[in-house]
Amino acid sequence: MATKTSLTETGMEVLTNGQITKGLEVFEQPAGSKLLTHLNSCVHCGLCAESCIYYLTTGDDRFTPARKVDIVSSVYRRYRTFTGKNLPWLVNARELNRATTDEMVDLLFGACTMCGRCTMHCSIGVDIAYLVRTGRTMLSNMGMVPATLQSTVNAAVESGNNMSIPTDEFVATLQWMEEELIDEVADPNARIPVNETGARILYTLNPREPKFFPLSISAMAKIFFAAGESWSLSTKMYDVTNYAYFSGNPSEARLIAERLRRETGDLKAKTLVLAECGHGSRAFRWEAPNYLQEHFPFEVKTSVELIAEYIRDGKIRLDPEKIKDVVTLHDPCNLVRNGGIIHEQRYILKHFVPDFVEMTPSGTDNYCCGGGGGQLAMSEYNDRRMKIAEVKAEQIRKTRAKIVVTPCHNCVDQLSQINITFKLGVKIVTLAEIVADALILENEKK
Amino acid sequence: MQGCGITETGWLCLVNPDKMHWYHWISLASLGICLLLSLVHLIRLIRLGRPTEYATPAGKINPAIGYSFTGAMSPAKKETAFLHLPTYFAGIAYHLGTFLAILLFFLSWTGITYPVVLRFAMAIFLLATSGCGSGILIKRMLKKGLRSLSNPDDYISNILVTFFQMVTAVVLLWDKAYPVYFILTSMLLLYFPAGKLKHAIYFFAARYHLGFFYGWRGVWPPKQA
Ligand code: SF4
Ligand code: SF4
Repeated sequence: MATKTSLTETGMEVLTNGQITKGLEVFEQPAGSKLLTHLNSCVHCGLCAESCIYYLTTGDDRFTPARKVDIVSSVYRRYRTFTGKNLPWLVNARELNRATTDEMVDLLFGACTMCGRCTMHCSIGVDIAYLVRTGRTMLSNMGMVPATLQSTVNAAVESGNNMSIPTDEFVATLQWMEEELIDEVADPNARIPVNETGARILYTLNPREPKFFPLSISAMAKIFFAAGESWSLSTKMYDVTNYAYFSGNPSEARLIAERLRRETGDLKAKTLVLAECGHGSRAFRWEAPNYLQEHFPFEVKTSVELIAEYIRDGKIRLDPEKIKDVVTLHDPCNLVRNGGIIHEQRYILKHFVPDFVEMTPSGTDNYCCGGGGGQLAMSEYNDRRMKIAEVKAEQIRKTRAKIVVTPCHNCVDQLSQINITFKLGVKIVTLAEIVADALILENEKK
Repeated sequence: MQGCGITETGWLCLVNPDKMHWYHWISLASLGICLLLSLVHLIRLIRLGRPTEYATPAGKINPAIGYSFTGAMSPAKKETAFLHLPTYFAGIAYHLGTFLAILLFFLSWTGITYPVVLRFAMAIFLLATSGCGSGILIKRMLKKGLRSLSNPDDYISNILVTFFQMVTAVVLLWDKAYPVYFILTSMLLLYFPAGKLKHAIYFFAARYHLGFFYGWRGVWPPKQA
């Protein structure tokens, strides 16, 4: 979205009053006392620095989580506190001007994956990632979302999926994958059902799948087939992602979430299953009900939970001799630390992978791969994104694994780039892919 | 002097207002202002309440909030603690010193007296904890990253609290320091609601919200595999 700004005599862009007013509206958002609390809590101890991959890999003080908190709360102090209004120098209360917003864009969009690792470790308990999101919303209100990220959101808003895949192309890909599936399971009745009303499960996809990795669609279809599941995809709304969550635009996030909610209702599915996408799962499972202010009348779960259920209930069987290499697991921040799916993926892998090695640290303490927070969409920060990936590359190297599993397509993307850049020589797969590989089917082609 | 202060020569005692000097009245007024403004912060937090969550919860809130105040704060779990153990323990000692100094300030109005040994012990403890506060201040001044993060409020808050502990220690042993003690305490009380010292209120709200957030999503308390 283009921004209307005026110029000073020196040619520097200045913010309009309208932009400033819109930006400050963020402090009025209804969040109970949560926002007020976190804006007032940081004590500038600076101890969170080492929790953040940006600081760890660059040693640049500007990139500490505390500085990201401070730039948002300093604006709050300037306009919403007695001390900040009257003695701004005392508490470093900052004007909302072009210099401030430029720094905000660089720090909040360009130097944070919103992974929340710092939040969990903050000495006080400041929800740093939440304040980063608040800052992003402020910038979004002012029309200052980086154009690269905004174009991904626009694609989703305008076309229904963030890669603007035309429906006929999507349908053709599904037909092709159905043929693959039939061939693989050696059963002419195997299907990838589309737009079926009344199926128990409506399944979603990350548009990266039909666009670049269609085999991950057939992998999940194979699992559904093996479990004898009643399921369907929708050609109208299948995109699990919601980049407006990252751009900080609640109305666009609401619009995207509403489409998926409506489609689930229209197809009368009992359960909406979210594909392997960290932020997509978070955005729909945890944020969408709040965007839409309603309790969904259907169950929402991730494919990770569903696969674990299938194993637990004996609906699928896995061959423990199939995977011979050392396997490690990357925990997507939004699924694990911010989504509570911590043990299911481990339960699945330990069920059939004989040589499973954890990264250190792992689980809720795991480091972000560097691709979160919309970083993969913002090409202007590519160099920084690969710099912060040093931490993940080192974590993977130390496991000596040959296969890295991650239940998130965005993480797969970033990890694949890490694999090439840091010459790790590993194979990156999703959970569905490794499970589908080890499935025991009666008719399967040898 | 019976029942009227920490030292044998006596501190201020509310049951005996004749003994109150101007500095007592100032500190009493400062305390009133501090409590009133702190109450404003507190009432605002309580009135706004917690955010409304529409997603189906995946865990229990109360155990998570409990964990937020306990296990999650332990050096075994918190990276900001275990990567910075000297600062962590200095911070704990500094806060304990502050709590003791505040307690002594309130008790000073009740007329309680203390044996000499206890007075010495408390004074030594407060000098040690104020040393921790000074150490934290020096670290803030010397480390480039911390310096660039800091504003005048960070320095003033630390100096006020550190001096408060020091002067409490002094007054435990030497009652001629009362005027300085009460004036410094008044400054601290007046400054409290304006700067970062008010984190004494917001800390509890922050830990509550964090426990609520992670509890709702089933992240805290940590589950067994
Ligand atoms: S650890 Fe928390 S309180 Fe300390 S500087 Fe970082 S955000 Fe602020
Ligand atoms: S949310 Fe993650 S990337 Fe952002 S400041 Fe915190 S640790 Fe760093």
